Amino acid sequence: MSKKSIKQPQKPAQQKVAAASPKREKRLLPVLPIFFLFTWLWAAWYYGSVFYISREYSFWVADTRIMEFVLCQPYGILRYIGRAMLQLYHFPWLGGLLMALMLSAGSWLTGYCMRLRPSWRSIQYLPALVYMAVVTWHGLDIFYEARTGLIFGIPFVALLVLCIWGIIIRSFSRKPVPAFIGIPRDETPRQNRIQLLVIALCLAAIIGFDQWQRPYVRVICQLLDMEYRQDWAGIQKLARANAKMSNRPMACSYAIALVQTGQIAERLYDIRLDYDSLHINGMDWKHNNASCLYVPEGNYYGGFIESSQHACMEQMVMTGPTIRLLKLMVKCALMREEWELADKYLAVLRRVPFEGDFVKKYEPMVRRVDLVNAEPEMAMIRLTEPIHDSFENQYQQPLFMGYNLMLVEGRSQNALINSLCVCLYTKLMPQFVERLEPLVGTTPPSIIMDGIMLAENKNPGISKNFTGLNFRKPQLQTFLENMRPYMSDRAGHAYELFPRYKGYYPYYYFFGNLKATKKGYTSLSSSNSGVN
Amino acid sequence: MRRYILSVVITATLFIIVGCKPKAEVPGQFVEADAEAQIYPDYKDIVVPPNIAPLNFIVRDSSATAYVAQLQGGGQELLAAAAEDGIVQMDSTQWRALLTATKSSNISVSIYAKRPDGWVRFKAYRISVAEEPIDAFLSYRLIEPGYELYRQLGIYQRNITNFDEVPVYENNREYADGENHCINCHNYRMGSTESMLFHVRANHGGTIIVQDGKAHKIQLKDSTIITSGVYPSWHPTENLVAFSTNKTGQAFHLYYPEKLEVMDEKSDLLLYDVTKNEVSHIIRTTDDMETFPCWAPDGRTLYYCSAKRNYLLNMSLPDSLVTQQLLLKYDSIRYNLLSIPFDPKTRSFGQPKLEVDAVAENKSISVPRLSPDGRYILYTKGDYGQFHIWHRSSDLWVKDLQTDSCYALTEANSPDVDSFHSWSSNSRWFVFSSRRMDGNYTRPFIAYFDKTGHAHKPFVLPQEDPEWNILQLKSYNVPELSRDAVRISEHDLRQCIYETEGENATYKPNPTAIVRLDGTTGASPRKAVDGTSGASPKKPE
Repeated sequence: MSKKSIKQPQKPAQQKVAAASPKREKRLLPVLPIFFLFTWLWAAWYYGSVFYISREYSFWVADTRIMEFVLCQPYGILRYIGRAMLQLYHFPWLGGLLMALMLSAGSWLTGYCMRLRPSWRSIQYLPALVYMAVVTWHGLDIFYEARTGLIFGIPFVALLVLCIWGIIIRSFSRKPVPAFIGIPRDETPRQNRIQLLVIALCLAAIIGFDQWQRPYVRVICQLLDMEYRQDWAGIQKLARANAKMSNRPMACSYAIALVQTGQIAERLYDIRLDYDSLHINGMDWKHNNASCLYVPEGNYYGGFIESSQHACMEQMVMTGPTIRLLKLMVKCALMREEWELADKYLAVLRRVPFEGDFVKKYEPMVRRVDLVNAEPEMAMIRLTEPIHDSFENQYQQPLFMGYNLMLVEGRSQNALINSLCVCLYTKLMPQFVERLEPLVGTTPPSIIMDGIMLAENKNPGISKNFTGLNFRKPQLQTFLENMRPYMSDRAGHAYELFPRYKGYYPYYYFFGNLKATKKGYTSLSSSNSGVN
Repeated sequence: MRRYILSVVITATLFIIVGCKPKAEVPGQFVEADAEAQIYPDYKDIVVPPNIAPLNFIVRDSSATAYVAQLQGGGQELLAAAAEDGIVQMDSTQWRALLTATKSSNISVSIYAKRPDGWVRFKAYRISVAEEPIDAFLSYRLIEPGYELYRQLGIYQRNITNFDEVPVYENNREYADGENHCINCHNYRMGSTESMLFHVRANHGGTIIVQDGKAHKIQLKDSTIITSGVYPSWHPTENLVAFSTNKTGQAFHLYYPEKLEVMDEKSDLLLYDVTKNEVSHIIRTTDDMETFPCWAPDGRTLYYCSAKRNYLLNMSLPDSLVTQQLLLKYDSIRYNLLSIPFDPKTRSFGQPKLEVDAVAENKSISVPRLSPDGRYILYTKGDYGQFHIWHRSSDLWVKDLQTDSCYALTEANSPDVDSFHSWSSNSRWFVFSSRRMDGNYTRPFIAYFDKTGHAHKPFVLPQEDPEWNILQLKSYNVPELSRDAVRISEHDLRQCIYETEGENATYKPNPTAIVRLDGTTGASPRKAVDGTSGASPKKPE
């Protein structure tokens, strides 16, 4: 049948294009392959980190019993397939390749199914571009509530529908199929250029919008990725490179990296800590400042293993299991020496594609407390675990802040430093001064020195108990003098002054985090909570 | 041609499937191993009911590549094979025949493992088959272990003679803020689903009562009632339900073997008349916290737990600080086991009697459950508090009402949590929740309770795939046995929950109720006091 159709005489327009083809062909570009390349770059290089984190915030195993929480939802099977495809994003270039293939194939099929003339062929790229725009518009929301099955699920469904539509059309039509990989010979150079222009403009608009309205999305995801890889130097470098960008997930990652490298009292204020609002929507269970993105990790790295496990479980209740939560719960179980529990979570993770390395790393630690305590990350966390029991409810949330504000007895110098830093961060100077006793006679870290000098006002003579402060006093005096004109409108001048005083605690004390100073902290309480 | 290709494909597929499955036959040559096989779950040397589902298990051996399990007894033999994963799944028909043949006797289980140097046979172990069957249905709630938020949860019923599990009711699977609700405390009357109830909390809230296959929603609300009905117990003969009403909160430990503490700030007991839709107090006190009511099978005694709380409180501090005060002394709150006589004809209560003085030995009791033959009270005893499902010190105990003696069910208990329990209607079996498998996720364990009043080594509810015990990321919460299946469809329950508001129960004081509102902290008595009861009746609407 198809042979017959090829033999059919060409229409005049086609003949015209074909006649001029040798000359024109040189000026024609393969639009679809170029679109594929751009899409691949976008999906792997530009937005790959976001999809990678989406995978971490997702979960997929072949076992449909474990996936029942997804399958029981409307269109569960499509969500299940979508989640399966997302697994490829363990390798962003591979995941990006699949996405680019799907979007390109979808575009080609759109053109074919809509029987678009060459002059209208730009339209065929619009659904894929709209999808990319929607993904960009959603930003963190694409994985925040673990509705990650939709990331690939939607293009998959669209592709499926187009395939069926295309097959139906092909069954009744003998028209030649437009080129998929090669040069589109039926196009004029102008038509060809218009398509490329439309694609380029749309992509530029998508990326421009991302940079303008959602600049934090990629940065947060890159930071989370580094956090999971324990790349503490990388986190610091990236956070400082984006120091003016301010949001809580980023601040938490940065603080974790500093705590893990023992620099929390030296470099905390290298980034702005004012917390701009994030575009994020939850299931209306009272998300506060994207707290789901950082509270479990914040508690874990702060030494609050029980509370980290608690936070993980709360999120697991709401979203179902995710790779990121299961991994953290494995670590928590190991730290708590709950070996059977660690075994259980590892058994589940073993079924998740590409998680072999994680299992391989942590499985030997089961029933080996010596290996747990020797692991650098865990050893560091051990130093700040609470000494005595109490209840989470007795502290302000998030716990890693609230507990350190009330810390009476610490396990190590690290615990003391963390507590002092939290007191300074919250600008609660009386609590800060109360906890200085163990540092008397020493040269404290720079941020604590600055805090002591600021506390001098209400605690005259306090700085005499420490060494090394004299070198920093002139700097403080100069700062205070310079700041006089700005004191009447601190909120208004905070942003412009930041680059000048980046890293300097007195700047933060007077100009930083003014909203939080007024509002204080809020807890994660919810209307959907109760004793279960 | 197509048919030919198709048949080749099917044959090849079948060949691959059959080829992968090891052959279930006893190896001709093997050596005897000194050790016993390591199996999961632990089904060694247990007593099982003659109607239980196949006890599928996993054999763990670091070097074996295939296994064969040989079960023998009563002239019957069952062979089951496993591949390298060690998962032994038995044929249901053969298993049933084996159980029938070995009723009141033993099954010997031999396991063979194929190691690189040949087959070995581990030491055999025994499974005893009891004469008495267990109630065929087990209801439970599947929920993530003990946290504050809730999303996808449901009450399910499992036929424990096979592997069928059906949802009794599942809440909204897809999140919708206006629909999200919790369900809890499912309960049946004397092991029959003819009368059942459970609570719905938050959106569409109320208590769902199901009788004669029809559901209706009620609201147990009155200014004298602390919250609404919580822990229920159906009266065995009258159409009555005893409820506790509790103001409950929970707190999460920071650095402690126990993860969380659930505690009451105050609690009372209620009596709800299903026929008349009337509610009254049984006990209403401010100093004492009464909870976990349970009727005796004759319906003439109500057992419950009670703790004193005012001695722990600084009464000069405001009511709003009661929770904080109790939280600081959570490990000093202890419950005794008491009973109160009841006359079903006059609906009157007598004076409470102390049944077990746990406080005297610095212990605390919760969840009393009477054996259906009326002889034993099975309860949980721990170091403190009442929510023993999160207390590792909790163990199962019984009080023999004939001899007035109390003792621990040592064979059934473990170092981890052993709590919420339910009797089979012949009093020979009970199911209870235990966290012994991983310390977090509760699993239902079944134990034989012999005629001398002693429990035998329990075993976990069998699963078709034994690995499901590991992979299941939810706890089996509140296991309740019943003789029959739930008689109402999920659709009808959903309709009742979503489409009815819930009828308010009329509050009608019981003149024989025990009312002591003498404290300054706790429930505030209403100003208009109704003579003896201290509660003012609501006008019938």
